[in-house]
Amino acid sequence: MSVPLLEVRNLAKRFPSRQGREPMPWVIRDLSFSVSEGEFLTLIGPSGSGKSTLLNMIAQIDAATGGDILFAGDTIVASGAKVLRPGLDRRVGYVTQDDLLLPWRTTIDNVLFPLEVQGRLDDKGRAHAETLIKAVGLSGYERYYPHELSGGMRKRTSLIRTLVYDPPVILMDEPFAAVDAQTRTQLQEDLLRLWEMGRKTIIFVTHDIAEAIALGDRTLVLTKQPTRIASEHHIPFRRPRNVKDIFALEGFAQVYERIRAEIQ
Amino acid sequence: MTIAEQIIAAPTGPLISRRMTILLGRCFFAALLVLGWQWGANAFGAIFFAPPLAVVERLYEMAISGEMFWDVWQTLRVSAIGFVIAVVLGLSVPFALRLSPRITEAVEPYILWSQGIPKYALAPWLILWFGIGDTPKIVIVVTMTFYIIFYNTLAGIRAVDRRLVNMARIMGARESVVAREVIWKSLQPFFYAGLKIAAPHAVGATIVGEFLVSTQGIGYYIEHARELSDTVGVFAGIVIATAVVLVINAIVVKMERVALAWRPLDRDMGR
Repeated sequence: MSVPLLEVRNLAKRFPSRQGREPMPWVIRDLSFSVSEGEFLTLIGPSGSGKSTLLNMIAQIDAATGGDILFAGDTIVASGAKVLRPGLDRRVGYVTQDDLLLPWRTTIDNVLFPLEVQGRLDDKGRAHAETLIKAVGLSGYERYYPHELSGGMRKRTSLIRTLVYDPPVILMDEPFAAVDAQTRTQLQEDLLRLWEMGRKTIIFVTHDIAEAIALGDRTLVLTKQPTRIASEHHIPFRRPRNVKDIFALEGFAQVYERIRAEIQ
Repeated sequence: MTIAEQIIAAPTGPLISRRMTILLGRCFFAALLVLGWQWGANAFGAIFFAPPLAVVERLYEMAISGEMFWDVWQTLRVSAIGFVIAVVLGLSVPFALRLSPRITEAVEPYILWSQGIPKYALAPWLILWFGIGDTPKIVIVVTMTFYIIFYNTLAGIRAVDRRLVNMARIMGARESVVAREVIWKSLQPFFYAGLKIAAPHAVGATIVGEFLVSTQGIGYYIEHARELSDTVGVFAGIVIATAVVLVINAIVVKMERVALAWRPLDRDMGR
């Protein structure tokens, strides 16, 4: 079998305790998994299962207490590394639950932000940004500030802002959790359509079982604290998928039930 | 429209009548001010309270002779030099301190204590050092305005959303880019709040400096008029100083409006 694109080995996290107090419990312990190139991996777990902490550690904005992170077989973050490397030198993009758009930048300037800070903003980049803006239906809103956009539009902007600089792996932390059900379905379809265009490697965290099944090639179920992998489920449905009809597909109920039983 | 919506919409009213109300209100208070002034002149006598008409006449004379503009220019020049130095220092020191939280903690109390020094008390010592030129006045302006910019910038840096900083880092922004594109941009509301307070202080400090040591400027004009018991002159000087501060304020507010155009309008005072 080929080398996975991203792999975490024995990842562990415990927040430092105050002096003289008992050590804090492990949030995450002995957590290992890998994702191959072009795979859409979904992680599902009960709330409070350290999902965000897990992604923060992979994105290297939070330090792991132990464990390695490997990219294409090379150890990029060794256990106990002291210095953080946010984004692993642009290998990992991160779409967070809050859109985290820069409020003083318009839609287009937010989308161009990564290219700008990386010093590779050129006509090609601009054209790419325009294509993405069109693909998610934000044409005409290029000059709007984030506070002038709806929640769904901000989510789309946030999503394509990461897609625009093409990081090999994209982490997503419940990006559609805070929107209404109808908008969420639309966003999921937008995401799948964009993903079909380039088949990026995605690690998508959610607490919504149907979402995990609808989007993923494979779903990992996480346990509660300390977080570990409880089980692995291959999602057998063909692509391209239609999010709206996913419930009607043969086998959906079985997968859904299996995962639901795991979570409880 | 439901009843609830009507009730919510009612106090706003049509835009024109609202503007008219505000304008009329302002005219009313202006008239009240001038009347009060005239009443003061009648009640206390021209030596203590120059009558408004005499002051207007004096201002006209000063404008015709050009005397006014020379003094205004001198005051503005000193204020501007001191203010620019204060802004540069007040911005760069917090940005430098940001690089090391430990040094910040070590240095912060000293900055706080040094703020406690009554700046005008330094004047004799400054004259000893720098003579009676512009320098002692500039130093006073810097010391009077630096802290305002400094503390506002520091508060702004501390209020920066760390998640935005991390997001920029993940996208490959170097620290200098993070400082410019995230920290500096997000502390702009704090910076302009400081600027709005500090700019009038800069002019005020220059004028006090001119009382103490000068042969030109608005402060000198006022002080000289006082020596001659020329109350009209004192009042004219105060009016000029006020006008200068108002113009500067208007400029700062305009700059702020341009720089913060991205913000949602926030005139509702949190209501």
